[in-house]
Amino acid sequence: MTTRIQFTEELTRLNRDVLTMGARVEEDLRKALQALRAGDLALAKEVKADDELVNALQLKIEDQAAVLIATQAPVARDLRELVTVFKVTDNLERAGDYAVHLAKAVIKLAGEPPFRQIGHLEKMAEIGSQMIHGAIEAYLNHDVEAARRVAALDDGIDHEHKALIGEILTLMKERPEQADRASKLLRTSGYLERLGDHMTNVCEAVVFMEEGRHVELNE
Amino acid sequence: MDGVCPKIDVRNLDLWYGETQALKKVNISVEPNTITALIGPSGCGKSTFLRVLDRMNDLIAGVRTEGKVLYDGKDIFTDIDVIELRKKVGMVFQKPNPFPMSIYDNIAYGPRVHGIKERKVLDEIVEKSLADAALLDEVKDRLGKPALGLSGGQQQRLCIARVLAVEPDVLLMDEPTSALDPISTAKIESLLDELKRRYTIVIVTHNMQQAGRVSDTTGFFLQGELVEYAPTKEIFFKPRDVRTENYISGRFG
Repeated sequence: MTTRIQFTEELTRLNRDVLTMGARVEEDLRKALQALRAGDLALAKEVKADDELVNALQLKIEDQAAVLIATQAPVARDLRELVTVFKVTDNLERAGDYAVHLAKAVIKLAGEPPFRQIGHLEKMAEIGSQMIHGAIEAYLNHDVEAARRVAALDDGIDHEHKALIGEILTLMKERPEQADRASKLLRTSGYLERLGDHMTNVCEAVVFMEEGRHVELNE
Repeated sequence: MDGVCPKIDVRNLDLWYGETQALKKVNISVEPNTITALIGPSGCGKSTFLRVLDRMNDLIAGVRTEGKVLYDGKDIFTDIDVIELRKKVGMVFQKPNPFPMSIYDNIAYGPRVHGIKERKVLDEIVEKSLADAALLDEVKDRLGKPALGLSGGQQQRLCIARVLAVEPDVLLMDEPTSALDPISTAKIESLLDELKRRYTIVIVTHNMQQAGRVSDTTGFFLQGELVEYAPTKEIFFKPRDVRTENYISGRFG
């Protein structure tokens, strides 16, 4: 006789919501990236509106997880998985915010000739999307090796971020009248760099869930 | 703790009921002033193991043991008188079992058997034992009344007081709260936390949450084998054996 059927079903439902939240954040980042490439203001505004749904989903998932802890008294791996849910949704919510920042950059930088350095932002957002997808997959599949591979992608984001900083600083020296616009680009790059860090946090949480220890990936 | 002699040291303990082996090569070291919880499914050997520690299994025909059980470094089968052992290693059972006597006489019974007759001394022992069992305030005005008139939770604390009256060193408890309501259970769990400052406690429990709440160390028994024995926070957070994980998570089949 298999036991704890109800608890297993509740966990499955919870993880389905985590998947939905991850998919939504990934889509928002891709939309923001698309908006950036095409200068599509309407698409950028959609991303802003979507963020409300992401935030609501986070709260719903956290409440469900708290109820499960209170009513099912999980221990060991079950407990670590529920603790990890809080870490995953928290980091996903921040990633969603950064997608919004990217969308806002589209709006703020619209109407004038684009910087060629936007190419770095595009690459960062592309890698960021892959990280969101991979991190959530690693969490749902309890796959520590996959989590490590996803975390390693953050190096690509950091590389683009450093390159963009170097180029923008040079630009600001050569064309100080562009400094205000250029600084918006710098700020947006910073947000995407942090998105990579947050997805690395999700990967570290997967290791914690499976192995019960805290690790720093990408040291 | 480094350099501290274990209060109880069990080495390669085997036990048979006739031809049936009930305990298999059990090794446990219980540190002083700790609470050790023994968990496992029904019939796994945890209560049998508990009864080894005060040699209650001697009273069962056909029981045979091999291995060593040391209490304060002395072999309980060869180096200690069994009456003295049972004074020092007291037992509290699942179902409260007050004697059909007054509250006072329940507590005074053990000291009287051990030769204490002076009323003043017995009064002090009774008062202290009831206080240590967190029962004195509730019964101090009716010590002469029948113990059977107490509630279930009070009766169980009376049984704890009765054990404390003969100044034990170790308390063995076999599912001490399984017959009690949640409030009585909570009172006894608080009491255990205080008692461990002066005693070493080994408790058998079917209640996972209780084991998690009260104990420092947990031992998981399965079919006579001690599968895992570790600090409670490790057992409940990151057990090493998949059998332990499955049992404490309630997963079978």
